[in-house]
Amino acid sequence: MQTLHVNGTDIPYLDIGRGPPLVCVHGSLCDFRIWSVLLGPLARSHRVIAPSLRHFFPAYWDGVGDTYSIAQHVDDMIGFIERLDSGPVDLMGHSRGGHIAFRVAGLRPNLLRKLILAEPGGELDGSLDPDYEPGPSPLAARFAASAAKIAAGDIDGGLEYFMDALEGPGAWKRLPITSKQLLRDNAMTLIGQVNDKRPPFSKADTEAIRTPTLFIGGANTKGFLPKVLRTLAAHVAGSEIAMIPNTTHPMFEQAPQKYCEIVLDFLARPSSSSES
Amino acid sequence: MQTLRVNGYDMAYLEVGHGPPLVCVHGTLGDFRTWSAVMGPLSKTHRVIAVSLRHFFPEHWDGNGDDYLMSQHVDDTIAFIAQIDPVPVDLMGHSRGGHIAFRVAQQRPDLLRRLVLLEPGGDLDASLSRAASTAPAPSPLANRIAVSVEKIASGDIEGALQNFVDGIDGDGAWERLSAAPRQQLRDNVFTLLGQIGENRKPFTRADAQAIRAPTLLIGGAETSGALSQIWRVLSEHMPNAKTAIIPGARHWMFDQAPRDVTEIVLEFLGD
Repeated sequence: MQTLHVNGTDIPYLDIGRGPPLVCVHGSLCDFRIWSVLLGPLARSHRVIAPSLRHFFPAYWDGVGDTYSIAQHVDDMIGFIERLDSGPVDLMGHSRGGHIAFRVAGLRPNLLRKLILAEPGGELDGSLDPDYEPGPSPLAARFAASAAKIAAGDIDGGLEYFMDALEGPGAWKRLPITSKQLLRDNAMTLIGQVNDKRPPFSKADTEAIRTPTLFIGGANTKGFLPKVLRTLAAHVAGSEIAMIPNTTHPMFEQAPQKYCEIVLDFLARPSSSSES
Repeated sequence: MQTLRVNGYDMAYLEVGHGPPLVCVHGTLGDFRTWSAVMGPLSKTHRVIAVSLRHFFPEHWDGNGDDYLMSQHVDDTIAFIAQIDPVPVDLMGHSRGGHIAFRVAQQRPDLLRRLVLLEPGGDLDASLSRAASTAPAPSPLANRIAVSVEKIASGDIEGALQNFVDGIDGDGAWERLSAAPRQQLRDNVFTLLGQIGENRKPFTRADAQAIRAPTLLIGGAETSGALSQIWRVLSEHMPNAKTAIIPGARHWMFDQAPRDVTEIVLEFLGD
């Protein structure tokens, strides 16, 4: 694969199409391949750049070391965009990748033109959620249990436990076989994710986002992700929301044409901030 | 993407992993992404090189031109492999890509170590045909493609794809596909326009007997029609062939049973 050397590691990426650069950041247990379904429609008018974050496939990480964290991945993406040397990019992130993209926008708005967050992952702190209780996330224990199963060699058992914790009982069993295989290829990253050190979103974080932002959600997604999305959108100035009917968290795989239509429309429009 | 210049064309490919090179050639309506589900396990021990043939995604071809030909794709694949260091390589092809891989093995055995054919596509001529028929019937798949091309011409992309996919894996096959594989087929739909005039030659007994490379032919247990027969017949006449059947799988067997497919392929390559 093509790689860029960033922060002492080679970041592999797929680079397809010509036009304004659109960098796509995958979520937990995924890699550059998760964007496969969007490449056709998006690459007609954009240079689509899909990296695999440090330790994800095609790396076969052993789970050892402290270089799997939100902070590391945010630093890596900042370094990656700088090394691309293509001027400000559009940045799209899904799930945990949406969290990373949000942090990049907060830290380095000068690197970005527009921001697309597809059900970004994370928690809301007390400034955004009156029900917030400090301390470990209620899901943290389940994630740790998943990681323990994987470390013990029970890959499918660990993945099933993780997916069902995230999206409800039966989520793993319902996945297409091809999706399961992609998660298996990245199973060891869950061991790192136990020490992800993901800080909760705060009101100050959201107010610091100056990049024109589009939030995309699946209309049928359950759990905390829709709440996070709506709360962030309520506080990021001038942001927009698009909910895709009949889809859940992997909404772009479930409705690729609709998703691309929404993204391409958002990217093509003059940004409201440049009009003001 | 990374590309290699072959016969005046920049051929795109995805290369993942380290080890002996394994070149993968997709079939009709496929591209380098065809191999996504098996790329993980295969690239643990191999340098997997998944090509996109001339006019397939990431090119957005409009269907115009006279260089969508079986012989062109075979020549391109040969020119591509010749640039890989080191040769010989292992070569794996699916469906129409299996036909291409077979022809590469026939023409340039020096470039290949081992050959894996996943339900290769093509007609069997009279020397291979099990039926005593003297006048071979037109290929049912060729008819399917002609109908799909008419649908594309009238703007019915979904109908064209459904007609093709159902022709291979039976009525309802398109309906069963999820949105993601459908989109990848859609990205390549205009290549069907080229395929009408691709000039694919039928397999002959002499062709099969000429393949010296150790070859594994793999079929899906649930595949029906011509694609379930061709690889069996070819294997009977190839001097160095093994066969394997993937339980519960049909023509797109690596999407339906990625672990079974990779296990069988890796065992064969590692012999």
